[in-house]
Amino acid sequence: MDKPTIDKGTVELLARRAGLDKALAEFPEDVAAAVNQAAGIAQKFKAPTDPRAEPWPPMRAGDGL
Amino acid sequence: MSDLHWMTAVAAAKAIAAKELSPVELTSALLARIERLDPKLNAFIRLDGEAAMAAARAAEAEVAAGRLRGPLHGGPGGIKDIIDVAGLPTTCHSKILQDNVAASDAVCVSKLRGAGAIVLGKLSTHEFAIGGPSHDLPWPPARNPWNTDHHPGGSSSGSGSGVAAGLFPMALGSDTGGSVRNPASCCGIVGLKPTYGLVSRRGVFPLSFTLDHVGPMTRTVADNALMLDVLAGHDPADPGSAAVPRGRYAEGLERDMRGLRVGFVQHFHEIDMPADPEVTAALEHVARTLQLEGAEVRDIHLPTLGEFAAVNRVILQSEAWAIHGPWLRDRTGDYGQLARRRLMGGAFFAAGDYVQAQRRRLEMIAAVEEALRDVDVLLCASSMDPACRIDIPADIERTYPRQARTPFNVTGHPAIAMMAGVSMAGLPLSVQFVGRNFDEATLFQVARGWERAAGTDKKHPAIV
Repeated sequence: MDKPTIDKGTVELLARRAGLDKALAEFPEDVAAAVNQAAGIAQKFKAPTDPRAEPWPPMRAGDGL
Repeated sequence: MSDLHWMTAVAAAKAIAAKELSPVELTSALLARIERLDPKLNAFIRLDGEAAMAAARAAEAEVAAGRLRGPLHGGPGGIKDIIDVAGLPTTCHSKILQDNVAASDAVCVSKLRGAGAIVLGKLSTHEFAIGGPSHDLPWPPARNPWNTDHHPGGSSSGSGSGVAAGLFPMALGSDTGGSVRNPASCCGIVGLKPTYGLVSRRGVFPLSFTLDHVGPMTRTVADNALMLDVLAGHDPADPGSAAVPRGRYAEGLERDMRGLRVGFVQHFHEIDMPADPEVTAALEHVARTLQLEGAEVRDIHLPTLGEFAAVNRVILQSEAWAIHGPWLRDRTGDYGQLARRRLMGGAFFAAGDYVQAQRRRLEMIAAVEEALRDVDVLLCASSMDPACRIDIPADIERTYPRQARTPFNVTGHPAIAMMAGVSMAGLPLSVQFVGRNFDEATLFQVARGWERAAGTDKKHPAIV
């Protein structure tokens, strides 16, 4: 399990907001591990500084389904 | 014929077409080997021997009548159990889907059958192609035929284990963060993640829509190219499928390497994630060998592995949460612990994190495209370590992220992992080659050049 960095109260709040009440009741350590795994990952890559930078894959005009 | 279990798909198809080998004889020999070895390897979740023998008899009758379905006629293969085979459960190695019987074949399976391949059964995977190796699922995890105490890699674990052990010459795997190339690396076989969109994903249980790829796993480069010849092609019903002309991948494999430019991404294994010294030495040996074969090798820099891994993880887990959220809320206990933890992680990313990762992804694609303007192919590490023991969770946790495969799920470029040597402990070491989008032909040319020079296709585990 990842070293816990997020306090128990925050883990519970985040889990309930995600609808994971059952998981929190049955597998609290797994929920805490998932929260801690996710924490800070988005800071480990450089977000584009150009406001016009588009995501991939691009939106494309379709011709119907 | 002796040693039918080490026969390649190319050789088998040739011998069957020449009526020197019967599909029934080949399938029977492999089923006997599976019966003897699979209890140690757990490559299969479900062996479908009866259907395989019926298909072999039909293939034999077709040969007798002078009809060959295609280039894989009579060749047996296995299918990762996240891929639909009509009439069999697609369990994803999970209790969640253990009764999920597929109504029809996935497009990739249909194409293999159309080319004459025989489906032997469904193969072990990490749960939903993400959680493993796990010992708390309805089926045990696959094991490495080079040493059954070791992990065969994943998530296409049974595909890697079975191909390496000579249970079948070819298998289908899927690759979202390296899941074809990891077992290819651990088991010393050839695993290709094709260009994103080249092979249809229809009928394959998704893990992450924008990162998922289906790929061939074989013991030789020629077999891999032949499988891709069969698998590639536009599928209008797969939104990610690319409308590009198919290549002729099995041709031109024996072209020499004079004039080819190879970019060696050394910072991946020297700085970003320092590799095991045996892996480093093997990669340097590959680079020197390619030079001796006539290629020009130069140093190339890409974004760091840590950054690629973070982008991959945010995208993969966010998309996977969209798929698994309802089950994780209601059937939490039906997942194994590893899948439960990894899949729940996606619940805790913000929408903005996902969009930022996709924006950074476009810059990363541009960085790899830029590198591939100066060179024809990239050479880099696949796994930073040989396969670890399967029963030591701390070793699994330490080595699982030590890899350089996720960059090419992020960018979509084709990448092939294969044996680079054998460690002092008798486990395969690996190398990865990466090509330009839809230029698998050049990728196979380089991979075959290395295979020819090093004889990696002749190295098999001692399991009997």
